[in-house]
Amino acid sequence: MSISTLFADYSQFRHRHPDGDVPHNPYKWAMAIDLDACSGCNACAVACYAENNLPVVGREKFANGQAMHWMRIERYWDQDGREFPDQGARYLPMLCQQCEAAPCETVCPVGATNHTPDGLNSQVYNRCIGSRYCSSNCPYKVRYFNWWDYPTTDNVWPAEMNLQLNPDVTVRGKGVMEKCTFCMQRLRAAESDAKTQGRLVRDGEVQTACQQACPTSAISFGNLVDPESRVHKQWRAQQVELDKHEQAKDEEAGGSDLRGYRIYEWLAPYPSIMYMERVREIAI
Amino acid sequence: MHRFLRLSVLFIGLFSVLGSYAADAPQSEPTDPGIEGSAIDKAAKEKSDGGDSAFDAWLSKYFDSDPDNIGPVVKQPIEFPHFRHAGDHDKGGMEINCMYCHTYARRSLVAGIPPVQKCIGCHENIESVRNKPRIKKLFEYWDAKKAIPWKKVHDLPDFVRFSHERHIQRFIFQLNRPVQEVCGYCHGNVKEMTVARRQKLLSMGFCVTCHEIQHPVTAKDGTPIGDQKYWYSMRKPIIDVSSDLKAQGPNDCWECHK
Amino acid sequence: MNNDFNRRDFLKVLGWGGTAVALSGCGNGMVESGKETVVSYVETNDYMIPSVSVYFNSTCAQCDAGCSIMGRVREGRVLKLEGNPNSAINRGKTCGLGQAGVQHHYNPDRVREPLLRTGDQGEAISWDKAYALIAEKLKGVSGEEIAFLTGGVSGHLKVLMGNYLDSFGCKNHFVYEAIAPAVVRAANKKSYGVEMPRFNINKAKVVLSFGADFLGAWVSPVNFSQQYAQFRKGVNGQRGVLIQVESKMTITGANADRWLAVRPGTEGILALGIIHALGTATGEVAAAVKGYDKERVSRDTGVSAEQIDKIAALLKARTPSLVLVGSAAEGYAHGSQNAAAINLLNQVLGNVGKTVEGAAIVPFPQMMPATGNTVALNKLNKGLNEGKYKVLFSYATNPVFTAPGAMKFKDNMAKAGFKVAFAHYLDETAMQADLVLPLDSALEDWGTQVPEYMAEGAQINIQQPLMEKLHPGTRGMGDILLALIKQRGAADYKNFDDFYAYLRSAVLHNKGALGGSGVADDDIFWNETLSKGIVKLPGAAHASLSARSGASGLSLPAPAAIDAQYPLQLIPHVNASLRDGRNTNQPWLQESPDPLTTIVWDSWVEIHPKKAAELGIVEGDIVEVTGKNGSVKVQAYVFPGIHPDAISIPIGRGHEAMGRYAKGYGVNPFQILDLVYDKETGELALHETRVKISKTGQRVIVVKDEGPVGGNQEGQKIVPRMTTDKVNLSKEI
Repeated sequence: MSISTLFADYSQFRHRHPDGDVPHNPYKWAMAIDLDACSGCNACAVACYAENNLPVVGREKFANGQAMHWMRIERYWDQDGREFPDQGARYLPMLCQQCEAAPCETVCPVGATNHTPDGLNSQVYNRCIGSRYCSSNCPYKVRYFNWWDYPTTDNVWPAEMNLQLNPDVTVRGKGVMEKCTFCMQRLRAAESDAKTQGRLVRDGEVQTACQQACPTSAISFGNLVDPESRVHKQWRAQQVELDKHEQAKDEEAGGSDLRGYRIYEWLAPYPSIMYMERVREIAI
Repeated sequence: MHRFLRLSVLFIGLFSVLGSYAADAPQSEPTDPGIEGSAIDKAAKEKSDGGDSAFDAWLSKYFDSDPDNIGPVVKQPIEFPHFRHAGDHDKGGMEINCMYCHTYARRSLVAGIPPVQKCIGCHENIESVRNKPRIKKLFEYWDAKKAIPWKKVHDLPDFVRFSHERHIQRFIFQLNRPVQEVCGYCHGNVKEMTVARRQKLLSMGFCVTCHEIQHPVTAKDGTPIGDQKYWYSMRKPIIDVSSDLKAQGPNDCWECHK
Repeated sequence: MNNDFNRRDFLKVLGWGGTAVALSGCGNGMVESGKETVVSYVETNDYMIPSVSVYFNSTCAQCDAGCSIMGRVREGRVLKLEGNPNSAINRGKTCGLGQAGVQHHYNPDRVREPLLRTGDQGEAISWDKAYALIAEKLKGVSGEEIAFLTGGVSGHLKVLMGNYLDSFGCKNHFVYEAIAPAVVRAANKKSYGVEMPRFNINKAKVVLSFGADFLGAWVSPVNFSQQYAQFRKGVNGQRGVLIQVESKMTITGANADRWLAVRPGTEGILALGIIHALGTATGEVAAAVKGYDKERVSRDTGVSAEQIDKIAALLKARTPSLVLVGSAAEGYAHGSQNAAAINLLNQVLGNVGKTVEGAAIVPFPQMMPATGNTVALNKLNKGLNEGKYKVLFSYATNPVFTAPGAMKFKDNMAKAGFKVAFAHYLDETAMQADLVLPLDSALEDWGTQVPEYMAEGAQINIQQPLMEKLHPGTRGMGDILLALIKQRGAADYKNFDDFYAYLRSAVLHNKGALGGSGVADDDIFWNETLSKGIVKLPGAAHASLSARSGASGLSLPAPAAIDAQYPLQLIPHVNASLRDGRNTNQPWLQESPDPLTTIVWDSWVEIHPKKAAELGIVEGDIVEVTGKNGSVKVQAYVFPGIHPDAISIPIGRGHEAMGRYAKGYGVNPFQILDLVYDKETGELALHETRVKISKTGQRVIVVKDEGPVGGNQEGQKIVPRMTTDKVNLSKEI
């Protein structure tokens, strides 16, 4: 450590799209969520609680906006002033978008959040000092702070409930930031198994908890750089490219007839989740 | 008065900082001894082409065979003698492979402690030591069908995910290094111990030291070392000061932090 | 020395000093040695690798759909449940309720020992003493004086239960389910010849659902959700269209292309109006729909004439379609008539045999599910009131919570001589019992289960323990029944030490019929069966549907007039997480936001904005909802997805017992329901309670997940939507 490092140009480390020593080789994990299939049932959200040791904060803390749902279902109504919402509601599963140029990564004072070579935005709990700058910067507000000491003081997992805790995931203490990790414990386990067998992870071999639970199979997850993977084929069919913040197809006259889009794409965080728009029948 | 107090505390702090940094004065980056041969095993030493002194120096700096005994003495239910079981023949040991008992090391995150069944498997046939006090204690556990409450010696913090499988697969199965040497990188010279005692720091810096080693991507004659399987999960090769292409081990936070 | 060294200075010194120490570092204190023990075994089997998970298959018991689950087990503990891909019902998927199954198992409020009531307290006693007490209470009691109250049961447990009752000559097995498609079953029997046909949502081009919340809590939601996904992908490239008709928006309604807020109870009228608008009806059917022209129907139901025409046109143009009936049947005194009219629509559209088909039959009638209804509860209630029963057994049901308060079930239950509850938790019914026998959780127990809704083929679900018993004092229900049967006749079942032995023997005995005829070795077949978690019955016959129109005798009442004193209709709605309240003590479900309102941990009453404005109610007002049979105070939520003449309170909360996560949260609308029954089946008409609302003057902040803008995108492109004329679905994979 020296004075010169304090003044070095750190903008060179801002990853805009894969480059340098983090090349998305051989994996870049990405997701595609079909909003026309999503029924808003919340199975994914509960599965995430089960898989990732998420604390149940209780009514008061929920009221304070301190809920810890890494995956949340947002429900929107049409704003057309009609008497009834007779075209239904719109459900949006919102989780960490694992942005390629994540606004949260650059502002952590201690470097607790970084980008992994397989395209995920990492969060290291023991390095986090709880400045909450990252969640302040996140446009999706998908970062959750441990305002309270859930395991000990709040006793969120009283005897026997603590036996359900997943040993592959850290149980977070007070004062650290957490967020969706694309079930990286599952990814690491699958990568390790595949590596021992001398191969790469096959499409469909590893599923995130939310994807595995979803009864309508609205969530697709896989390796974006594997041309045989479902997620790659979906992104390609929808003509959405990871490293663009404006897609060519949207420049067409009259807009695109394809459903794929990313949220807040124009802010250029380059999110790794592509959503496919909900559809409505006009004949009725 | 207050200014003096503050200044003095500040200076004390600065001195201790400088002091600690002096102790860890940066040294030249260790270089990789290469795939071929290595080390403690005499046979392997003979196989390699003689330029061993640099490697020996490196090895002794980081993986000395003299016990460092960094960790506390941990009292176990039975004072199990590793030197008898894993030790060299000429010292009265049986040279049992580490993984005979710590079976899961090649396929799990943890190496595992053998079930009582494993000990009994041999000991029920070794009449000569059947009445030794510790063996009698072993049989007490077996007869009561009670698991031996071994204490964990190398207990990394809960936010760390260390995979024995990956390291065993690489060093033993891919690089063909001898088992005792590989286990010894982190666990020290276990065959000289009774029960295990932590020999190495096992801090993040300890792990990162190895992951920072610059591996030459090509041999001296230009042929590439290893195939895609060898390099995948290493960082992308970079050209270092000596204009050679070198690659380092994984430095992805999420490889080890969970 | 000048002693103005104050707190601020002290903190400053600490700050500098602290920084200095931090910079110097202090070695690695994070690696502990010798504090914890290692995972250590006496003997291991070869699939037990520490840190590697093993998966075991079983059956989810969180609701009655009978999805198969796979439990992830590590170091002897089940950590998470996934769906079992082998099952035709859920095909590897689970719902949120299923995921919470681990919380049913690990719940800190489980009963751990048999409890005997002494006054107001419960005293822990031994199993021997408990069994002895039961034997004593049954001495000299005849079969007519014993009552066995259960929820839905199937499989071998049902067989054993039947045998136990037979040992007394007791015919009083009352099966009660608080929310069950009981009226639909009866109507289906009349219209199709079977109680539960197979619905092929994925083969339909249009689904018209009258209150059937098939994506939420109706019959088999995980199966239907998967079919729904295929339905949206389309038949021959044409995306399926969903139309939902109901008075209060369910999650299925929220996903509809068109949601029609119909006047409560007039769903049948709308169905007849659609048949009329189709213009293809002849004979009996034409006679039945005469007079249901769209103007009249529009007046009665509130659905516009234009809309009726559009629906008819769509149904004609896109075939096959599928018409489903749910709350339209369960909600009203004329529910059966509603269901008959709606099922008639399926006949007229030619859907029977295409999207409504006969399901496969499990050829073991004694194992088929005993389904529940309110008629049974009423009969039991009457008997209790008359003091008929000296011994009452209760299993898998909670009528003290779910029965309408006007039935006075709690008081009547007290009249039974000796009350035994087989329970996991001290719920309201167990709290009234004299003896509570603690059960193994669903993840610790053995069993077989036959689901009511059979998807493709016929299957029997296997339930096996996913780990060793958590609490040594609990027993499996099957084991308890065996012990009780052996009390009656020691010779019975003497070959079976426990329920496991009985189950294994019963399955092996029928190996041939269960697909094991090619497997000579019994052990191999049994292990394979356990490994798969389900038994698929090869070549099972399918029920055949008889097309009975039932048009004659169809008579729908005019829309109900609004009672001046109680002007609003109360709809107690079922949400997928909490259902009838049996899972409310699972905190993940309490914290899982309601899909329509996003409210957590509490109850609410949904009021349409128009009605709310009329009454001067805003979100958060604590209002009193009063009916003839009582009142509840609950927070108001202004919600556009409800008919202005109705209000809705969710069921499942308002527990007064059942543990720390359930007790004291919300209100229980069951308590204030009017005792109105469906005329044909005698089932409780859930939506017929008339209430009024008054403000109490109190206001709270509603605890919900949506922010203050509540479902408004505020002009941002967050969830855009495309219409079918603009989207090109052909290039999708």
